[in-house]
Amino acid sequence: MTPKVDIEAMRRTNERFEPFCEMISVVPDEDHEFTFSAKDNLCAKGFQARAGSRILEGYRPPFDATPIWKMRAAGGLLLGKTNMDEFGFGTFSTNSGYGIPKNPFDPTRACGGSSGGAACAAALLPGHVALGVSTGGSISCPSSFCGVIGMTPTYGRVSRYGLIDYGNSLDKVGLISRSISDIERFLPVISGSDPKDPTSCCQPRLDLSKVRKGPMAVPKECLEGLTPDVARTFDDAVQTLKEGGTEVDVVSMPSLKYAMPAYYVLATTEASTNLARYCGMRFGVAEREYAQHFNDFFSKTRSESFGDEAKRRILLGTFCRMVGFRDKYYLKALSVRQGITKEYLDVFKDHSMVLSPTMPFIAPKFDEIASMRPLEMYSADFLTIPPNLTGLPHISLPCGYHSGMPIGMQAVAPHWEEGTLIDLGKRWGTTFAYKVPEACQ
Amino acid sequence: MRIGLEVHLQLPTRSKLFCSCPTNGDAPNTSVCPTCLGLPGSKPVLNRKALELGIMIAKFLDCRINDRIWFSRKTYFYPDLPKHFQITQYESPVGNDGHYEHEGKRIGIWRVHIEEDPGRIKRVGRSGEEVSLIDYNRSGIPLVEIVTAPDLESPEQARAFIDQLVTELRYLVGINVQDETSVRVDANLSIGEERVEVKNVQGLKNLERALRYEATRQTKVLDAGKRIVRETRRYDEERKITLPAREKEFEEDYGYIGEPDLGEYHIGQWARETVLKETPFARAERMSAELDIPRQTARQVVLTSGSLADLLEKLCKEVPSEKALQWLLGPISSNWGALEKVIDADGGACVIDIVKADASGSITDSEAKIRLQKCAGVKSEGTPACASNPDMISMVNSFLDAHPEVVKDLRNNAKAANSVIGHVMKETKGQYSSKDIVECVKKEISKRV
Repeated sequence: MTPKVDIEAMRRTNERFEPFCEMISVVPDEDHEFTFSAKDNLCAKGFQARAGSRILEGYRPPFDATPIWKMRAAGGLLLGKTNMDEFGFGTFSTNSGYGIPKNPFDPTRACGGSSGGAACAAALLPGHVALGVSTGGSISCPSSFCGVIGMTPTYGRVSRYGLIDYGNSLDKVGLISRSISDIERFLPVISGSDPKDPTSCCQPRLDLSKVRKGPMAVPKECLEGLTPDVARTFDDAVQTLKEGGTEVDVVSMPSLKYAMPAYYVLATTEASTNLARYCGMRFGVAEREYAQHFNDFFSKTRSESFGDEAKRRILLGTFCRMVGFRDKYYLKALSVRQGITKEYLDVFKDHSMVLSPTMPFIAPKFDEIASMRPLEMYSADFLTIPPNLTGLPHISLPCGYHSGMPIGMQAVAPHWEEGTLIDLGKRWGTTFAYKVPEACQ
Repeated sequence: MRIGLEVHLQLPTRSKLFCSCPTNGDAPNTSVCPTCLGLPGSKPVLNRKALELGIMIAKFLDCRINDRIWFSRKTYFYPDLPKHFQITQYESPVGNDGHYEHEGKRIGIWRVHIEEDPGRIKRVGRSGEEVSLIDYNRSGIPLVEIVTAPDLESPEQARAFIDQLVTELRYLVGINVQDETSVRVDANLSIGEERVEVKNVQGLKNLERALRYEATRQTKVLDAGKRIVRETRRYDEERKITLPAREKEFEEDYGYIGEPDLGEYHIGQWARETVLKETPFARAERMSAELDIPRQTARQVVLTSGSLADLLEKLCKEVPSEKALQWLLGPISSNWGALEKVIDADGGACVIDIVKADASGSITDSEAKIRLQKCAGVKSEGTPACASNPDMISMVNSFLDAHPEVVKDLRNNAKAANSVIGHVMKETKGQYSSKDIVECVKKEISKRV
């Protein structure tokens, strides 16, 4: 069966909400079984891959990223590439060189980031599954803000071949959809070891029937710094879980507060090396003034074409790996990461999952974002960063609404145990009434 | 004078270090792919063979093999480096703390690691209108870097050391140094307290020249009562001098971080199970001691061919070393082109039989040589001779007839037979052994009494 694709409707949706930075203009002749979209940092033949950055303007990759290839092979039609913060650097998808996606529930508000376009498309297009990417919470955050389900698998579960790197030891390809059954259907499609990405090659087979039993843990550190509406909504959700027979314990995970600084050190350090290749010479924007020293040539392109946040993270990351600072920051962050992983594993001895709200507030308005300082923005990720830093699989599920805006909760499971998260999503779906944005009613 | 070297050699693999592109790319930019061009989204995958060769080299140089190794990113901006970082090894190379014996001197080996080569820049065009072209065929070619302690004492020794090392590695892992210029070396040299680094020297000849120049320069500086400045210099091949490196080209901070796309490799077990072939210089040392032959001769044999050395070892089990060497360096060597195939096929059995027969005296020198030629498939002139050959008898007799003084002499002095031997040898082009001739002379003389 080939699902009908209404290009005109898509175009209208995109004019209003801008989930896509590039999309198909005609439906190809071939049969397809489902439609999907991909975040712009996943390479796909037939589309540009710009990762939200002006520096990759015009770059058309000669190969498909493995997850895209697998989705296509399974009968998927790639509708387009979704908007994102430049290279994934942001929490609201406002750092894009190709338009800013608007929240499906309120276009004056942000979608979250950095997979904002993916969550926006999943919320607005019927029967849509979006490939998202998370480094420090870029699937959970927009899923929470856009009222959809975001699944971030274990680090290494899905091949990163063809994913434009942000922080290679942190980047994970995942799924965003309105429906848990889509996630259950497509997670096995994109998973599996890929000889083109060695970090995907030591995974145990994905077994969604394997479900952990036992109480859930809510770290008390995750209940601080929330807005009252988020705190209350999360409380109600926990209450609902308890009524449904799930035990929920409040636990203490004191090392979680170190996750954010460790994450920003590691992610920016890796990013500063990943972004070194963008210089206007081999792909993307082309600097034509060849008759200058290569340093000037590279500097000119990079100064003109990187956005402010990219430059900030390159500087931060370069600083952290310089002689004299490397031990203090980069190596220290590596050991902090191990400490936090250990703390999670300790909690998992007696608990099936770790539960918290996904974001400390509802999707902010664009004018509120404009007045936020970088550190405030970074702090917004304090709940999504710990599982990302430790490579643990996690899911963000809508758990309530405040002033018409969705609020999400995030469950974290031990490595390779995605089945437990999907089981939770299915159970939650039987008692929770998801809302669909007015725009697509 | 103290000299330390960082030697870079290409590892002989069929594909590149982190992708499957062939290493023998011909036309510029034809052996390239997303990975070795550093296209966004590409990932490196380690070539197992390259790691294996790295382990063999580290083991050969008696290094301590690190059980857990990983790769690092060395970040710097240069047009020939597609990702603007080179994947190399930093904290955890394949091997550390080894050593190598060179001409009786122990040269410390600080580390052995593997890394990828950048592309190649070519300057083309008329002077003043030159442009740079970049060939990425070389990008991602696997290299081994061998870092020595500053244990070398002269430019000549530094050159000879690399020369010997390359020979060893050619035998050990098949390293292919097409010409001496394909060795790339960074060298440290100090005359006094402070050391000076000369970077990116191409080829052994240039290395020796660069070091000689640098030694002279430093000596002059010191003689003038000045101090050596610690710096990085480069070698100008045209002018044959070293110059301070321009800008801060080599002094930047590379900001090493672990290569997160590759993870860690546990190689301890693998390294322990790796068995090394005996290398030529090591073999020559052993053969020289075991067979009691001169070291130089042993080297000459071993470096000529492995099968020639095999043959020598086999021969020495059957006949005295002296005899074996005499054959090996003489007739066997001169027929080597034709003999090598035969020996590879029969394990040397044919040749060994001949030498054995010769040593026991059951055949003559010349017969042995003819048989050797036959064995090598070379057409021989003349027929095998023996002591009872009538030709020799008549030749000896006619000589004795013509030289009565020799006959007279012979009765008192056996050495007088030498003139007969010389004559017969000359006339028959060495078909008969001297022993046979002497016997024949004795017999004929006795008939004349």
